[in-house]
Amino acid sequence: MTEVKAELVGNVWKITAKPGDQVAEDDVLMILESMKMEIPVTAPRAGKVSEIRVKETEVVKEGQVLVVLE
Amino acid sequence: MSDDYAGKVSDLHSRRKKNLAMGGDERIAKQHQRGKLTVRERLDLLIDADSFVELGLLAEQQPVRGTEVLSDGAPADGVVTGHGLVDGRQVWVIAYDFTVMAGSMGAVGEQFKAARVRDFALRYRKPIVWLLDSAGARIQEASGSTFAGTGFLFYDQVVMSGVIPQVAAMLGPCAAGTAYIPGLADFVPMVKETSSMSLGGARLVKAATGEDVTDHDMGGSQIHCYESGVGDNEVPDDAACIAEVRRFLSYLPSSNTEKPPFMESSDPADRMVEGLDRIVPTNPRSAYDVKRVIKAEFDQDSWFEVKPTWAKNIVVGFARAGGHVVGVVANQPMVKGGILDSDSADKAARFIRMCDAFNVPLVYLMDVPGFMVGSQVEKEGIIRHGAKMLYATSEATVPKITVIMRKAYGAGYYVMGGKGYQPDVLVAWPFAEISVMGPEGAVNIIFNKQIEASSNPEETRAQMLQAIRAQINPYVAAGWAMIDDVIDPAETRKVIVRGLEQAGEKRTDRPWRKHGNMPV
Repeated sequence: MTEVKAELVGNVWKITAKPGDQVAEDDVLMILESMKMEIPVTAPRAGKVSEIRVKETEVVKEGQVLVVLE
Repeated sequence: MSDDYAGKVSDLHSRRKKNLAMGGDERIAKQHQRGKLTVRERLDLLIDADSFVELGLLAEQQPVRGTEVLSDGAPADGVVTGHGLVDGRQVWVIAYDFTVMAGSMGAVGEQFKAARVRDFALRYRKPIVWLLDSAGARIQEASGSTFAGTGFLFYDQVVMSGVIPQVAAMLGPCAAGTAYIPGLADFVPMVKETSSMSLGGARLVKAATGEDVTDHDMGGSQIHCYESGVGDNEVPDDAACIAEVRRFLSYLPSSNTEKPPFMESSDPADRMVEGLDRIVPTNPRSAYDVKRVIKAEFDQDSWFEVKPTWAKNIVVGFARAGGHVVGVVANQPMVKGGILDSDSADKAARFIRMCDAFNVPLVYLMDVPGFMVGSQVEKEGIIRHGAKMLYATSEATVPKITVIMRKAYGAGYYVMGGKGYQPDVLVAWPFAEISVMGPEGAVNIIFNKQIEASSNPEETRAQMLQAIRAQINPYVAAGWAMIDDVIDPAETRKVIVRGLEQAGEKRTDRPWRKHGNMPV
C-alpha cells in the first residue's frame, strides 16, 4: 500500500483517477492548484487506486494523504 | 658496493608488496561481499592509467601513547594518499581503506598523510578528492585530551573552500566528526545502500540518546539525497560513484584562478532549438518538465544535474553551450509548480556560490510563480532561506544570462537573475509574464472594490484580469528597454552562447570588505 501525499498546501482542482483504476508510474492522479499553478499529483509507482481521500475544491495541507494505491 | 645491496632492495619491494595487499585476502573478500570495491580498485577507476603517485605507502600504525599496534602494522595506516591525473589534470586524493582497521582515521594517516595531501592540493591549487569508507576517528589513538591538538582537517577545508574544488565520494560509512568532510565539500555523490553519514554512528546514538537505529537508516542516501540535502547524487555502486566524480571534475577548473575547461562540441553554437513548442505550454498555469528544455538547449549530452532528487522544484547542474561550461539554474514547473521554498532556495544558493567561486557562468531559466507563502513556510524561516538565494545571485560576478521563459513573478524574478541583479543578458520569450505577482492574485487586490461593486462580479473579474494580462506581457518591459530583447524560444541556444562570448572578459569591481554577512 502506498499513500500519495500533497507536496504543498493548495486546493484540489481536478481529480483524474478513480478507485479501481490501474495506473502506471508517473500517471497523473489529480491536479492541485496552489499559488495559481496547476500541480499534477502523479503515481510514485504502478498499482491500483484503492482510495481517493479528498474531493474537488477541498483545501489540503502539506503531507495530507490524497490517494492510496494498493 | 655493499654485497647487501640486492637484499636491501628486495626488502623494500617486499615491504611495498605487503602494504599494497591492504588488509589481506579475507578482509578484501568481505569488502567485495558487501558490494564494495577495495581502495586500490577505486583508485584505478578514478585516476588515469599509470599516473598515480602514492605518498606514504610504507606508513604504518604507530604506538600512539602506548596503544598496542596491529601485528601487521596496519598497511598504509588505513588510508591511501597521493596524486594522479583525472582526464589529464592533476588531482590529489585521500582514500580510506576499509580493509585496514575499518578505514579508521589514525594518527599517522590523518596527521601526517592526509594533512600532507591537503597541504599539497592547496599549494599547487589542484582539486582534492576524498574516497570515504571509514569507521571514523580511531578512538584508541584519539582519546584523551590530546584531542585538543586535532581538527585541522576541517579548518583546512574551509581555507580551501572556493579556492580548489573539493569532492567527498561516499563509498561506505562516514560517521562522527568526519561527516563534516562531505558537509564542507563541493560535491558529495553517495552509493545507494552501502554509504552513510551521520554526526554520530549507530552505537554512539544508542548510548547517547537511547535511539535504536542503523547507520543506513539514519544516514544512507535515501535520507541525505532525498530529505536532508547533504548528499548530492545517489549512485548505484562504487564504479558509478567514481564515474560521477570524474564527470563533476570535468566541468570545473583546477582552481579559482583558472577558467573551466572548454570542450569543443560538434553541436553547432548557432543551432536553432527544435521542439520547444511541444514541451512548453503557453498557458502559464500548466506544468512541463524543464529538464527537457535544458537538454534541448545545451550541447548534446552535456547536462550533468546536481542534487536531482532533493528540492526538485528547482533544477541545478552543469552543461555546456558551444563548448563553454555553464551552471544552469532552472525552475521546475513539474514539481510544486516550480514555486521557490526553503530547500529550493538553499539548493540554488549553494550551487550559485560554487559556480561563482570557480568562474562558471550562470544561466537562469526562469518560470517562477514566486516564493511560497503562508504560515507553514514562515515557520521554516523562508525569509532567511530566500535571502540566501538573493544574496548568492547578487554576489555572483561571473557572467549571468537570464531567460524569462514564462512566469517572472515577484521576488522569484529577482533571485532568478532579474534586471536588478546585473545579468549580462536578459531576454524573454514571447509568452513571458513579468509581474509583481500572478495576475489572479493581483486582480483581487487591485480591483477588489470594482469586483465587489459589480452586478456580475465574475465577468468584471475576468475583464480586469484581461487588463492586467495586457500589462504584464514582455513587450511592455521591452518597450522600456528593461529587458534586452524578446526572443523566439528557438533562438535561446544562440543567445546563450553569444552572451557567454560577450561577457567572457567580465570584470566587476565592488567596494572592499572582509566578507559580506550572508544569511545562513
